[in-house]
Amino acid sequence: MSLLNQTGSVIAMNVRSIPQRLWMSLATVGSIALVVAVLLGFLALANGFNQTLKGSGAPDVAIALRDGSAAELNSVISREQIDLLGQGPGVRAGPDGRPLISAELVLIVDGIKKSTDTKANMPLRGIGSNGLLVRPQAKITQGRMFTPGSNEIVVGAGLLREFSGFELGKTLRFGAQTWKVVGVFEAPGTVFESELWADAPVIQSLFKRGSTFQTARVGLTSPAAMPAFVKYVKDEQRLQLKAQSEQTYFADQAERSGLLIKYFGWPLGIIMAIGALAGALNTMYASVSSRAAEIATLRVIGFSGFSAFVGTMVEALVLSALGALVGVAICSVGFNGLSASTLGAGFTQVAFRLQIGPDIISQAVTLALIIGLIGGIFPGLRASRQRPLLALAT
Amino acid sequence: MTDFDLVWKNLFRKPLRTILLTVSIFMAFLIFGILTSLNVALDRASESGSASNRLVVSNKINFTQSMPYAYVNRVAAIPGVTAVTYQNWFGAYYQDQRTSRFVGFAVDPETYMAIFRDEARLTDAERQAFLSERTGVIVGKSLADRYGWRVGQTIPISSNIYSQANGRRSWDMKISGIFTGAKPTDPTTAIYFHYDYMNETITFERDQVGTITVVTASPDQNDQVAKAIDANFANSPAETSTVDEKTFSRAFLKQAGDLNFIVTMVVSAAFAAILMIVSTTLVSAMRERTKEIGVMKTLGFSSPRVLRMVLGEAVLLSSLGAVLGLGTSAFILTGLSKSPVGSSFGDLSMSPVVALSGLALAVSLGLVTGAIPALSALRMSIIEALNRG
Amino acid sequence: MSALIQLKNVKKTYKRGKESITIFDGLNLTIEQGDFVAIMGPSGSGKTTLLNLLGGTDRSDSGEINFDGERIDGYNEGQLAGWRARSVGFIFQFYNLMPVLNAAQNVELPLMLTKLSAGKRRANVETALKIVGLWDRAKHRPKELSGGQQQRVAIARAIVSDPKFLLCDEPTGDLDRNTANDILGTLQQLNQEMGKTIVMVTHDPEAARFAKRTLHLDKGVFAEVTQ
Ligand SMILES: Nc1ncnc2c1ncn2[C@@H]1O[C@H](COP(=O)(O)OP(=O)(O)O)[C@@H](O)[C@H]1O
Ligand SMILES: [Mg+2]
Repeated sequence: MSLLNQTGSVIAMNVRSIPQRLWMSLATVGSIALVVAVLLGFLALANGFNQTLKGSGAPDVAIALRDGSAAELNSVISREQIDLLGQGPGVRAGPDGRPLISAELVLIVDGIKKSTDTKANMPLRGIGSNGLLVRPQAKITQGRMFTPGSNEIVVGAGLLREFSGFELGKTLRFGAQTWKVVGVFEAPGTVFESELWADAPVIQSLFKRGSTFQTARVGLTSPAAMPAFVKYVKDEQRLQLKAQSEQTYFADQAERSGLLIKYFGWPLGIIMAIGALAGALNTMYASVSSRAAEIATLRVIGFSGFSAFVGTMVEALVLSALGALVGVAICSVGFNGLSASTLGAGFTQVAFRLQIGPDIISQAVTLALIIGLIGGIFPGLRASRQRPLLALAT
Repeated sequence: MTDFDLVWKNLFRKPLRTILLTVSIFMAFLIFGILTSLNVALDRASESGSASNRLVVSNKINFTQSMPYAYVNRVAAIPGVTAVTYQNWFGAYYQDQRTSRFVGFAVDPETYMAIFRDEARLTDAERQAFLSERTGVIVGKSLADRYGWRVGQTIPISSNIYSQANGRRSWDMKISGIFTGAKPTDPTTAIYFHYDYMNETITFERDQVGTITVVTASPDQNDQVAKAIDANFANSPAETSTVDEKTFSRAFLKQAGDLNFIVTMVVSAAFAAILMIVSTTLVSAMRERTKEIGVMKTLGFSSPRVLRMVLGEAVLLSSLGAVLGLGTSAFILTGLSKSPVGSSFGDLSMSPVVALSGLALAVSLGLVTGAIPALSALRMSIIEALNRG
Repeated sequence: MSALIQLKNVKKTYKRGKESITIFDGLNLTIEQGDFVAIMGPSGSGKTTLLNLLGGTDRSDSGEINFDGERIDGYNEGQLAGWRARSVGFIFQFYNLMPVLNAAQNVELPLMLTKLSAGKRRANVETALKIVGLWDRAKHRPKELSGGQQQRVAIARAIVSDPKFLLCDEPTGDLDRNTANDILGTLQQLNQEMGKTIVMVTHDPEAARFAKRTLHLDKGVFAEVTQ
């Protein structure tokens, strides 16, 4: 019999004997599934948050902040600075023929986080008519857009999902003024969906901001126009602002969220994996010792030690692959698309959805297979060293 | 020989198996020890420096919105209020905005030090210096250690919110004192300086205060005083929201995410995994010993005694893994406490409560994993047991 | 001589599914104090079942089982366990030693059921192992002992708490002739010098010769008695 045939029949025997150790084998599958699920949960959490940040930035929109401000909240921009920005190179013209610049200001109001029932920071963004033009993803899906000059608010669908207090039609009080929620907008997969929007001049006057803004989003003719515009802002002494592409701005923020995975997700995944590996090793050693007589018999007949090794190895890999499958299934059903929120770089809440993708699935499955591989190697070596006669005696 | 000796010898019958099981249990308790301690530390951090008779008044719209300075005196006049102080978040950093940010508040030195005497401990000389020096600043011990600051030194402190009328982004501040916390383990990574110094130099938001801290005559008056304050400012441009300090800081921490929930999920997953591993392995290990159990019963060991020994073995196994796991996590936590990231959590070391609940968990884990083999040992008739393998 | 064991009209039936097999239907047996009885009979005749009834490890359906004037068939599980610990020593065909314990510890096992002090226990273990001639192997694990030696350890374990009564189920079934004779000699010695009452099931007529008398069991009835 060829080595291949030998190995094939030993593998078949191994896999067929799994039911004899049903509970231990199931425990191995189950514990590996849990490892995969936990790791995948963290990866999906970070992935969802990252994708939301990355999906928010356009390559042909420049965002200008006061030089030295890392976040919109700490920035101040005057009307004059906005006009100067409009004179920069590569600025696209809006429908009215004037430079496409959305001057905006953000302030923080309280919402109630549904999951914890505690107060949370919501960004209330004042925008003008250009606000929607620099955010082509955003669309009003219920109600209508706010009317300029009135105390009206539109609310992002993501915010509505995670927080209460801003339902459509609701009347709100900020200080002495009352506001009405007149519309819901969707901007799927972006941070904007976690915002409240109102008319910028109304916010400036009701919140005593004079005529100052905090940021300017400048639509450029193409992504290629970005470097020249950034350089213009940097060199123009009267501006004292810093411009960057919106894409870079959000990518920087996304980078920081990787820490959660680096310092939490992976260490936990690995610690759990070691625990599961110990379980897998036990199961595989039990498998080898329960089949000691069988293996020895095969060796007497003339089967090689190698086929015994591969048989054990494959059994371990089958168990870990099953575990990975179950873990991925748990995550896909239980976590994928689950809504969550956390405090973003702007000191306000960002709502996002847990997102499972091929790359993170393959990371988690790799971990599972490594468990299977190590869990199979040592017991496999023991199986391959089983002497032909010795074991028959026992 | 005692029952314990017998249990111990049985436990290590197949040393490799026992070691592997211990590793599984060890890992679960490592996760439990570290995550639960982090959670406890965060909870405690939100409570450290909060007293039961203190309230925080903030703008109802959101705590980042300010209130007119005049509110301070109006709040002080409300019945049941025995003391007030106020503070403005400064967005402080030293030299590098990205890497050296810390908590910085502009405060009213006299009332601040009176109310927070215990949370920010200073010598009388330092206190006097801070009061008399307009550009004075008191800095936490951890920060002073980190940047090598000494009393008397003048340091530039920048704000990522405010800038000075003269265009400068930083304020020169003279260190009047270095404070320590109420407990040596409390985080001391903050600075406090004169509100007046800031207020006179900033370009916008003048004469506004961020939050007002109120001391009530007694905690049972908290609700009544809070309601009175908020009612006082109802229908004004800056309505207020008054809650006790603990509620205020809890809500703030919860903004980052529900750590409690994540910790519970991960710890449960880890325990579900080892529960499966350990109990199925113990069941199969006990099955190998069916005949021995039959012999023990034949010799006259009562069924309850055999049950106790089997359960004892499972409890011993889980306690072994638990003690090692909890010990290692205590060790790691001590190391983390000393690292720059960890020190901002305050005291990270494992609390007795965590250690004890870990041990309780270990015993229950042992009882649960040992239950199936123990019950089958209890029920097994001698003849059946002896006839087996 | 007085009767140590008395079985009166004992019935025993095993149920296997719907079927029931009657092993004993009115069995009577008396064993005197100090007797050494060999029980022989074909496979499946109920020898082991009888030992189980005598040792209180199985229950009869009806009838009386008396030990030293006391009815043990009415005992509950706990009482039976206590009685076995005090009064009965067991010797099995396959020795049934605990693999994790050494010889001395195996012998000490029944003493865990007594209130003897540690020192007294050590002395008893030493005495028992010396009686079977294995004191020099006290620290050896069963794996490190031959079959005959293991059976000696098992005998030491059976006598260490000084029971009146020894039950042996084919104690030499797994041993060669010479070793078997050694073991049987030891049992005989225990009977003659220490007055132990012994009931021994065996297939081996040679072994039966070491006993004082032999009972032949066939289909649940004692067919023949040889003195
Ligand atoms: N636990 C049991 N359940 C059902 N039948 C049994 C059981 N134990 C023994 N028997 C049956 O009882 C009969 C007597 O068995 P046993 O006393 O072991 O015989 P011996 O020891 O003389 O060979 C046999 O037919 C056997 O199959
Ligand atoms: Mg028999």
